[in-house]
Amino acid sequence: MTGLLETRALVKRFGGITALDGVDVSVRRGEVVGVIGVNGAGKTTLMNCVCGLSRPDGGEIFLDGKRITRSAPHDIAHLGVGRTFQVPRVFRRMSLLDNLLVPVLDAAAPDWELERRAASMLERMQLLELRHNHAEELSGGQQKLLEMARMLMREPKVVLLDEPFAGVHPTLCRFMIEQIEAMAAAGTSVLLISHDLTSIYRLSDRIVALNQGQIIAEGDVEAIRGSPAVIEAYLGT
Amino acid sequence: MHLLILNGLANGLIVGGIYALVGVSLSLLYGVLRVVNFAHGEFVIGGSFVAYVLFQRFGLPPLAAVPVAAVAFFALGWPAYYLLIPRLARSEDPEAMSFLLMYGVSIALSATLLLLFEADTRSIDYSFTPTSVAIGPVYVSTARLLAFAVAVLVSVALAWFLFRTLHGKALRAAIMNRDAIQILGVDIHRLSALAFALASALAGVTGVLVALVFPAFNAFSGAEYAIIGFVVVVLGGLGNPIGALAAGVLYGLAEQLATVFLPQAMAPIVGFAILVGTIMLRPEGLFGRRAVR
Repeated sequence: MTGLLETRALVKRFGGITALDGVDVSVRRGEVVGVIGVNGAGKTTLMNCVCGLSRPDGGEIFLDGKRITRSAPHDIAHLGVGRTFQVPRVFRRMSLLDNLLVPVLDAAAPDWELERRAASMLERMQLLELRHNHAEELSGGQQKLLEMARMLMREPKVVLLDEPFAGVHPTLCRFMIEQIEAMAAAGTSVLLISHDLTSIYRLSDRIVALNQGQIIAEGDVEAIRGSPAVIEAYLGT
Repeated sequence: MHLLILNGLANGLIVGGIYALVGVSLSLLYGVLRVVNFAHGEFVIGGSFVAYVLFQRFGLPPLAAVPVAAVAFFALGWPAYYLLIPRLARSEDPEAMSFLLMYGVSIALSATLLLLFEADTRSIDYSFTPTSVAIGPVYVSTARLLAFAVAVLVSVALAWFLFRTLHGKALRAAIMNRDAIQILGVDIHRLSALAFALASALAGVTGVLVALVFPAFNAFSGAEYAIIGFVVVVLGGLGNPIGALAAGVLYGLAEQLATVFLPQAMAPIVGFAILVGTIMLRPEGLFGRRAVR
């Protein structure tokens, strides 16, 4: 086993639809793996299974060699998996600071220390001035940054980023790309879903292309760009 | 007439304080657990019987029963959660199943209270000195005034807990998004058990106050408080504890003022009119917390 995060023959069905059909994905320490595919390809389902929000119908998931296939979401988070969502799930009627304190509920540190860490994280995401505002007052892009900051409060080993650039202003996108690069440089593994191929090509060490729940291509950017299966899935030609 | 309205307002505030506590605990439960606790009224009346037993057997004044009921119901609520609720998640419609399950629990608790205390109406024969206090032209019984003071204190303490402590913030976060809080490493079952225990403790305290404010209660009085609680929860916005606090006071005022202008027997109709009117005209509740999710 070489990956920090590995899925083996992962299967997930919803009624008669097979959303994941024997998916093997591996992410090494500090590696950025992009996941691409048209809508309904199974990208978000893959993330839901890894973080424990969906229970796979078959296959296995390992984190750092430990089987997490049927673990509860909070246990998976404790083992070092962080996650963001395509539509940010921030705690809308709570301040930005309070949003960041929820993940460290059980931390063995005094409140002032946790608040200092939260403020420092908000500063990193350029949100410090808004720390007392409710999350619902932020723009969509800022909410994505807040969700990223909240995820990082637990210092995860692997982060699952679901469409971080969707609907985000290009300036903010560039800032997010820098943040993702910084995470990877610090040794955090990244599994990244995006429809923004320019960003995913720039960030990814390796790309996995999914279609109808199956991997149709895997490799570096050049391999994916030239893959007839990917071209057919995207362009239908 | 003027004096009657002032009396109605004073009583409305006092009764509203009690209704607010019933509503806030139900709302907390629904918000965090997505469970409709039909047995909540029995939890409340259980608190009334705790005060009754402590007074009858040990001569403890009703106010001394407040901390006893809070601790006892909290301690019972925690294991009760693990016994009753996690299994619901296996069903296809946990919310509907919770309604049926808790309706069964409601019947079982009523029957247990009936077995223990029979069907007779009970009251606590305890009087404070002075028996009443003049607030301007209005005389309010000391027992009612003290009950209101306790209701206000408990509400303030709850608001402090929810807004100032990490666990309180986690409960609010769970109300806003149950999925997000789980992937942040928070054990949703532990947090839900806390919510269930806290709501049970609030119900127990409310029951003691019910025994102070209302002249009598029996093993079947619980259903009345469950229904009032549902009206308050709908009025305040589903899963919005602070909205429920305000809605409880509004409901109490409406109910008591109705007794000034309408025949006594029509007062309960006011509650249902408010419930139906809110659902039809403002389903998100008066305090419009759609954005809370």
